[in-house]
Amino acid sequence: MQRGVIMIKTFGYAMDIGEQMLISGAEVHRVEESVNRICYALGAVRVDVFIITSSMVVTIYTSDGETYTQTRRVTTTNTNFEKLHRLNQLSREICEKNLTEQEIEEKFNAAVHCKKFPIWLEFVCYAIIAGAFTLFFGGNVIEAILSFFVGGAVRITTFFFDRIIPNKIFCKFFSTAITTFLAFLAVKVGWIADVDKVIIGNIMPLIPGIGLTNAIRDLFTGDSIAGLLRSIEAVLTALSIAAGYFLIAVLGGFAL
Amino acid sequence: MTQTEIIQILAGFVGSIGFAILFNIRGKRLIVTAIGGLLSWLLFVVFSAFIANEAISYFIVALVISTYAEVMARALKTPTTTFIITSLIPLIPGGSLYYTMACAFQGNLETFMQKAIYTLQLASALALGIIVSTTLAKMLYEAVKSKENKHSFY
Repeated sequence: MQRGVIMIKTFGYAMDIGEQMLISGAEVHRVEESVNRICYALGAVRVDVFIITSSMVVTIYTSDGETYTQTRRVTTTNTNFEKLHRLNQLSREICEKNLTEQEIEEKFNAAVHCKKFPIWLEFVCYAIIAGAFTLFFGGNVIEAILSFFVGGAVRITTFFFDRIIPNKIFCKFFSTAITTFLAFLAVKVGWIADVDKVIIGNIMPLIPGIGLTNAIRDLFTGDSIAGLLRSIEAVLTALSIAAGYFLIAVLGGFAL
Repeated sequence: MTQTEIIQILAGFVGSIGFAILFNIRGKRLIVTAIGGLLSWLLFVVFSAFIANEAISYFIVALVISTYAEVMARALKTPTTTFIITSLIPLIPGGSLYYTMACAFQGNLETFMQKAIYTLQLASALALGIIVSTTLAKMLYEAVKSKENKHSFY
């Protein structure tokens, strides 16, 4: 019985690590493999892992013939590759060394609360990305500078907006709408001749690049369900970007 | 190399670093990602000087960069996703996606179809490059693993 209790606790860590990896942007295949290995390293005889982007189901069989199953519902994603790197390291260490429960807990907490760049840097990064890609797609310097400020402004607005309505798809719709509006406004004022380049620069950070790349990698490494889910998410995001653009473009036809 | 191409390479490089910071990539991994971002558009410019079809250049660059990502990920012991996503950012067809959208809005069906197909071509070339490299890496990895020890994990 004692052994069973220990098993459940360490099993919980395997689930936590998997869950956090999924949240921080790993592809499903990687998470499945990590959880699988950790469970075996903790002494399970057989492990059955089923993970999709929004849910985890894992069953382990101990050598005393008992089975334990845990499930996790994963609702958020928050790309953080530093966290992912540390969790990956931790899962390697669990497999290679015999870490005690406390060590696992300490390292897990350190990974989850790892250092992040300050929030203002995120705003600046958005602005830089928008400006850089306006140049990249053939915009001139004035368009790039305008795009820089539009990108920063959009990110700051959505940051506060996100606290009221935390919905990623709606957030992207809203971001594109603001961008398009500001771009049309700048044309109206006469700063730039064309809205195209400014909008392109600003939709680059919104395009679901991670979603799509992971979708492809999941689809072709055998996790078709997870891959399909991610693909649909990516398509919906692209549609919401288009919808944000259409909304303002239609209104702009009347007002501007 | 023309001036526009140099501007594009530098802008793609800066953009990749921006994304890397957004995704909280630090230290050595940040440098690797930045080099990847620089390389991806540089290689595209080089290849497209020889190959007329952009989609084929996209495929080759995606293949090379994802292989680079796989190798660096093994070397630095970190998930491959980190490098693939951020290094390939300059190849994301954001421009043609926008023009597809704009043509759809203007109701210009013929150009819309052209642009849509072009965007799809680029995106699938990119995807194909990633798939080929991922699959090869997986096969190679499994072959090495089963040779080393058949029974135990790690």
